[in-house]
Amino acid sequence: MNNQDHILFEDYISKTLSLEKRATFENRLKNDQEFKKAFTTYKDLNNFLEYKFGNEEQSKAFKNNLHKVSEDYFNKEVKATKIIKFLPWKYTIAASFVALLGLFVFNNFSNPTYSDFSNYETISLTVRGEQESTVKNAEIAFNTANFAEADKAFKELLETDNTNTEFQFYRAIANIELDNFEVADLLLKNLSKGTSAYKNKATWYLALSKLKQKENKACINILKTIPEDAEDFKQAQKLLKKLL
Amino acid sequence: MSDKQLHEDQKYIEGLLGNNSFVIQAIYNKFAPKVISYIKSNSGDEDSAKDIIQEVLITIYHQAKEKNLQITCPFDAYFFLLCKRKWLNELKKTNKKEVTINEETLSKNDSALELVDETDLFEEKQRLFNLMFQQLGTACKDLLKATFKIKSMEEVAKSLGVTYAYARKKKSLCIAKLTKLVKESPKYNQLYN
Repeated sequence: MNNQDHILFEDYISKTLSLEKRATFENRLKNDQEFKKAFTTYKDLNNFLEYKFGNEEQSKAFKNNLHKVSEDYFNKEVKATKIIKFLPWKYTIAASFVALLGLFVFNNFSNPTYSDFSNYETISLTVRGEQESTVKNAEIAFNTANFAEADKAFKELLETDNTNTEFQFYRAIANIELDNFEVADLLLKNLSKGTSAYKNKATWYLALSKLKQKENKACINILKTIPEDAEDFKQAQKLLKKLL
Repeated sequence: MSDKQLHEDQKYIEGLLGNNSFVIQAIYNKFAPKVISYIKSNSGDEDSAKDIIQEVLITIYHQAKEKNLQITCPFDAYFFLLCKRKWLNELKKTNKKEVTINEETLSKNDSALELVDETDLFEEKQRLFNLMFQQLGTACKDLLKATFKIKSMEEVAKSLGVTYAYARKKKSLCIAKLTKLVKESPKYNQLYN
């Protein structure tokens, strides 16, 4: 391939060829294997560069977030195994007796509560655009259980980005914690009807919100709609058993 | 791929694409334990599992974003197979052990294997392209970076103080140079056959 061909590739990709030249080009692609292979490589490289430099910031944000989640996950993992290893067998047995007894008492004499089942973890929010500091505030407030502050920050974020399901979901949780059930339930209802990644999670938290409001019947009805493949399906079934 | 049905686990791909912390956490909770235990029972430790999982998720993210990856099999099979292959290749590299990649235990799912092959090919190409890009001269590197970052060739020309026609010509010549480097690498025929 000579330089002229490469300039032709560029013109073809950027759609600046005349109709006639375009047809000739496509004809040559069909009939000249060497030409086609060279063009494929050129196009691959063009796409690669376009992606690499066009998405540099997004890729970086993804890697940072992934790193954070990974660290959280593996720190927990390591801690959990260490604790088990550290306990001599006697203590383990004693501990299981206590746990069994606790479980027995818990199962039989206590009503399930919101805090038994609520299972969200610390969050790390995705930054899009120029809201960085508010996002940070929301994240810190939420993770330190300062839910009034978190709600304020999420509200502000949603004012500029009202379709962001991540913000909607965590704002709902903050509001359950604050006993602002009206706000929480409305957000969760909408999410549970949607198609976002938070769909099932929102249904589960809507049920938990009802539980916290002591509306057990409503809670039961919502729990029944959580599908089998939902992450919280098992927990939902467990709660359902206790309530029925 | 287009004639096959999209698997419902595509939601994990969408979650990665959206950089959704909640989905990424779910991926770790659901799928990492199997990978960790596999690597631990094959001459590795937790730290190696941590690296492998991160690298695989980054590759999936890139492929999804650049090539619109669509999965037609359970995420579990796809993800585990990718991690496993990566780990075995790692072992081969460090020569810790004679390794043969035996996929019998997992290859119940042909569509998973096919997808994994695609992802591997994608990753190999990316690696090669990155490597060759680094070998370009500074002028070409800067021009290409500017071209694809700024997107409008008129602005690129302006920012570099050259004419529009010259900038476009230069761009295609720089990609041509990169093409040449890629073609001359021994990997090329393996990736484009």
